[in-house]
Amino acid sequence: MDATEKKGTETIDLSVVDAAVAEHGRAVSSVIPILQKLQQHYRYLPEAALRRVCEMTEITPALIAGVSTFYSQFRHKPMGRHLISICHGTACHVKGSELIHDALVRHLKLKEGEDTGAGGVFTLEKVACLGCCTLAPVIKIDGVTYGHLTPDTVSRAIRDFLELEKRRVVPRHHDQLPSSVEGLTEIRIGVGSCCVAGGSQKVRQELENEARKLGAAAVIKPVGCVGMCHQTPLVQIVAPGGEPVTYAKVKEEDAAQIVRRHFKPSGIVRRIRTGLSVAIEQLLTDETWEPVNRYVLDVRDAPVCAFLGRQERIASEWCGNLDPLDIDEYIANGGFTAMQKCLEAGRPEEVIDVITRSGLRGRGGAGFPAGRKWALVRGAEGSPKYIICNGDEGDPGAFMDRMLLESFPYRVLEGMIIAAHAVGAREGFLYIRAEYPLALQRIREAISRMAARGFLGDNTGGSGFGLKLAIVEGAGAFVSGEETALLAAIEGRRSMPRFRPPYPAESGLWGKPTNINNVETYALVPWIMRKGSGAFAAMGTASSKGTKVFSLAGKVRRGGLIEVPMGITIREIVEEIGGGTAGDKKFKAVQIGGPSGGCIPAKLADTIVDYEALEAAGCIMGSGGMVVLDESDCMVDIARYFMTFTQRESCGKCTHCRIGTKRMLEILDRLCDGRGEKGDIERLEHLGVTTKAGSLCGLGRTAPNPVLSTIRHFRDEYEAHIEGRCPAGKCRPLISYHINEKCIGCTRCAQACPADAIDLVPYQKHEIKQDKCTKCDTCRQVCPSGAVDVMNKM
Amino acid sequence: MRRLRVEEKIVVMKLTINGRKVTVEKGATVLDAAESAGVNVPTLCHLKGSAGFTSCGVCVVKEQVSGRLLPSCTAPAAEGMVIETDSEEVKHARRNTLDLLLSEHVGDCEAPCRLTCPAHMNIPKMIRQIAAGRMREAVETVKEHIALPAVLGRICPAPCEKACRRSRYDASLAICLLKRFAADADISSKEEYLPVCRPDSGRKVAVVGAGPAGLSAAYYLALAGHACTVFDDRDEPGGQLRYGVPENILPRSVLESEIETIKKLCVVFRMKTRIGRDLTVAGLKKDFDAIVLAPGKIDTSASTDWGVEVVEQRIKADEHSFLTSDGKIFSGGEAVQPGHLAVRAVGHGRSMAVAIDQYFNGLKVTGSHRLFESRMGKLLEPEIFELMKETDISAGIEPAGGASAGFQIDEAVRESRRCMHCDCRKSDDCRLRDYAGEYAASQKRFHVEGRKSFERIVTHSNVIFEPGKCIKCGICVRITERAHEKLGLTFIGRGFDTTVGVPFNESLGAGLQETAEKCVSHCPTGALAFK
Repeated sequence: MDATEKKGTETIDLSVVDAAVAEHGRAVSSVIPILQKLQQHYRYLPEAALRRVCEMTEITPALIAGVSTFYSQFRHKPMGRHLISICHGTACHVKGSELIHDALVRHLKLKEGEDTGAGGVFTLEKVACLGCCTLAPVIKIDGVTYGHLTPDTVSRAIRDFLELEKRRVVPRHHDQLPSSVEGLTEIRIGVGSCCVAGGSQKVRQELENEARKLGAAAVIKPVGCVGMCHQTPLVQIVAPGGEPVTYAKVKEEDAAQIVRRHFKPSGIVRRIRTGLSVAIEQLLTDETWEPVNRYVLDVRDAPVCAFLGRQERIASEWCGNLDPLDIDEYIANGGFTAMQKCLEAGRPEEVIDVITRSGLRGRGGAGFPAGRKWALVRGAEGSPKYIICNGDEGDPGAFMDRMLLESFPYRVLEGMIIAAHAVGAREGFLYIRAEYPLALQRIREAISRMAARGFLGDNTGGSGFGLKLAIVEGAGAFVSGEETALLAAIEGRRSMPRFRPPYPAESGLWGKPTNINNVETYALVPWIMRKGSGAFAAMGTASSKGTKVFSLAGKVRRGGLIEVPMGITIREIVEEIGGGTAGDKKFKAVQIGGPSGGCIPAKLADTIVDYEALEAAGCIMGSGGMVVLDESDCMVDIARYFMTFTQRESCGKCTHCRIGTKRMLEILDRLCDGRGEKGDIERLEHLGVTTKAGSLCGLGRTAPNPVLSTIRHFRDEYEAHIEGRCPAGKCRPLISYHINEKCIGCTRCAQACPADAIDLVPYQKHEIKQDKCTKCDTCRQVCPSGAVDVMNKM
Repeated sequence: MRRLRVEEKIVVMKLTINGRKVTVEKGATVLDAAESAGVNVPTLCHLKGSAGFTSCGVCVVKEQVSGRLLPSCTAPAAEGMVIETDSEEVKHARRNTLDLLLSEHVGDCEAPCRLTCPAHMNIPKMIRQIAAGRMREAVETVKEHIALPAVLGRICPAPCEKACRRSRYDASLAICLLKRFAADADISSKEEYLPVCRPDSGRKVAVVGAGPAGLSAAYYLALAGHACTVFDDRDEPGGQLRYGVPENILPRSVLESEIETIKKLCVVFRMKTRIGRDLTVAGLKKDFDAIVLAPGKIDTSASTDWGVEVVEQRIKADEHSFLTSDGKIFSGGEAVQPGHLAVRAVGHGRSMAVAIDQYFNGLKVTGSHRLFESRMGKLLEPEIFELMKETDISAGIEPAGGASAGFQIDEAVRESRRCMHCDCRKSDDCRLRDYAGEYAASQKRFHVEGRKSFERIVTHSNVIFEPGKCIKCGICVRITERAHEKLGLTFIGRGFDTTVGVPFNESLGAGLQETAEKCVSHCPTGALAFK
């Protein structure tokens, strides 16, 4: 067979296929990695390439067709030169991602059913969640993330990207890491995804340039996530023996000044040169030199204190201090001691006993006692046994696992080794979603460094126990986070769940006993083994021990990643840590648990963070996504948003989830469109109950939760929608924008309107043309005199 | 080498199914346990001999100890389980599941022509048989529901043709002429079709009125094995067919021929006999086990003799059982529902025969069993074109001898090829339809605004695939996988938009090379059917 094949006018180079097969093997289970390689090269999956795979492997056409059409990552049509991924996570949704989507469709002039603009330059795709929730709304163009977008800044972002492309600016790699040296000042720069998205790469470059210019006695140190995502990019100057000084929201142009503030240029020549350049800068710039002070964040500052104060760091211990990939630093700070203790001294049963007594419950959402699961796996018949880390954090609005994998990879891996030894597994996988490229990179590197040190491999540190770990990249399916669906994905099949029992502990990967735990669960294990079960159990409530990492986002002033002891109230999280709602709108509710969860209304804000307490309130703990909603958020819209998500992510296997959620979504669509009918609420309730009872897996069983929860606490909003009103003023078909008497004729609205719905008439009262208005809210946001009213049509 | 014998310990479990105790081996499912207890549990996606797929949700049963509803096809049987397979709760759950499946089912069990026909004749089947040249089968199909096809083929106003979907493309099928052709061909054949009657039941039925309703009732009662005597006060049988319809429209020879067939079924005719003058209803009730009252249009004077409730010159009879106020007297035809529609009277006749048969067998008298009907409703133009994909595009055939001469055989065959077959070809072998009827499911439970488009894949020599009827049970996927078909069928896409198809968009023929028959017979709906 010829290694090339004509496809239309293009000739496909099939040697890429052969290489991918050679790398990943001919077994059926290699199908997803092979497809990922092909997609990476061709930027879609040409049929000729797929046929070639079938020729060269055990993968049948039926299998490859089934698998390649199941996962969102795979495209069967060519893509444009650049890919714009617009995030539709929860936080982005409440911050107006739909309006951004519309703006992009307008900008690219996309017709119905098209996703690629004219000229084949940009392809637009919706993604479930990019994990940069505090920068919402977010889009990613190829590797570059743009946050805090508004409908009128969309074209600016695209222009900026094209500029970068022209200048071929490539973000620096994190791999070239300078090692910290005694006596040098550390200039720490956050390199979590949110920081990077906020521009920390450029800031880092400027810091390095300036430090070099001054010959400063400093080392630039990239650090993992601090969690204060609302303040990114963060820079911290830590002089030996001195107090750390933190700068927040650092811009590229300020980086140099920060360095200069702390370091005098060494040598007279340098000093003069620096002095001169500073003087020239001052002469040439129009703006007066503003003190950098305003960026300084004193940890004693009330907001920072409040943000950090209530937190307890276990999974995120040493946050902000550790270089994610510095293995020696990790060791120096107590890393791997728990592992060594377990492997050398402790018998597996003792380890399981400690974990059980600590009360650790799985942090992936279900909250199953980890110790009991490990005991089941240990006691199960079958060999070999496997260990799996579930890093398929698919909840839109949740990015805790991303943070843990990016910033504390060694901790997660240490936890896995301890668990593997306890259950008797010598082989394992980390299943990490492809939307987290940084996390994948860090874990890969961490595994490689640990293997080099002998921590992973045949014989960990001479203990006689060895663990081999491999990474499996998700291919874009929220349902893959369900444990049996995850197993299917690793086995190279469509990620469809199966009935349990038998549970994976008894019959898992390839029918063998398998321990599956969430990233955060593993991350907590080393601390528990070091400090003892009692220390962990001392925190939290009677049934929910220890801490939980939450990603706080939405309409909150201080969003970010927080780790708090169980038992803290929702109110404390939102008001003390989060600083309450941003802007002047009242706090309305918190959505907890993502698409499987529910809303806690403000009046129940004293509910404690505890598995059972949240369930009683109609919510679930979930994986830790917490989205704060204010009075401008419509609860029916929120319910519809989540149902849209689950409907899109349903695997389609069982009747109740596949069709039931669709029927529910249709009702919600009608309600938000002003076509609600009497009886719709009852219909939703009935469908919700039957879908919960009849679905095969957790996705379908929990999909109705947001609907049932919002009906329970906000029934009046549903009733208003049936009457054609949206009390929150959010659902666009039900509202209209009008300019009132307060208009001063400043023309700002007309200038900003992206839909040409306002004629520019200086000094006169402006009018909004209802037939053109897209209700993007831009005019109301830019109006200086509060002259824009949002009114219900009914 | 010495061969080692390993002692295997078989673990058994005891559980209760509907109050009955059963013992099964470890590894058995709840469905296996139910089967061993002789209890039938409905399934759609289960492939015998295969592991449970847990897709359809219909096999759900209640486990009382845990309070959970379990999918019996996959749930492992466990010691101490108490299973209820037929409680109200379980039936309710199955109904909900069926409602959901039906809400996206794009297909008509029966074509609009059949649904409109007052006699419920299986028009599409007859047409398919004519098209295939199987004329004898065609007339058998017709006579399943219509006792006087040659007569009706000349006088029926053909409401079926008004409903025919072909008229959306050009002109409706000439259904009436096709039926006439099938009936005439039979009459002029050497061996006229005479159905076999059931053995004599010993029951006797008096049929008052030898018009279309009475004749039809007698025909079907005789088939059921019940002896019939037909009474009429005119000289000859036929009622309005003889004394109302002109001879040039309905030649007497045709009428005679069809009445002769009824006589061949041992139906006795007593003409020139009038109720009230020569006989009384009371007398009939003594001598016969049931009475069919089909006197045609009634005048107020005679009605009091019959001893049944008459309202505004109409005999009052139940619309399903045709029972009058007297528990032994059934009434139908013009006397009950005026309208001069012979085909309706013929339909009534058959329905009354069914009702009387139920009555004689001690069953609840409900009349003709109404099956569940899935309906697509009005088709959009692209869907009409989809149906036309494999249909003859010729314009309507006109009989060379004019309408009154009827079709010649070649004309009939050509006309029959114009049928789009918008009915389901597996409507009498569809588990979804059966369960929908059994559990009283409803297709309209959910207000669905835009149903999926009707699609028909015809790229196989003798199998058609209609994806709109597919319930994603995966049976065909599993069959083709197990049989190692080169291409087979597979799931394409995810979630609500999942479809079943051939990899790489190849033809259905390429996909189903070895397993066509198995896939068609195991498909639980009409999605995969033979042409």
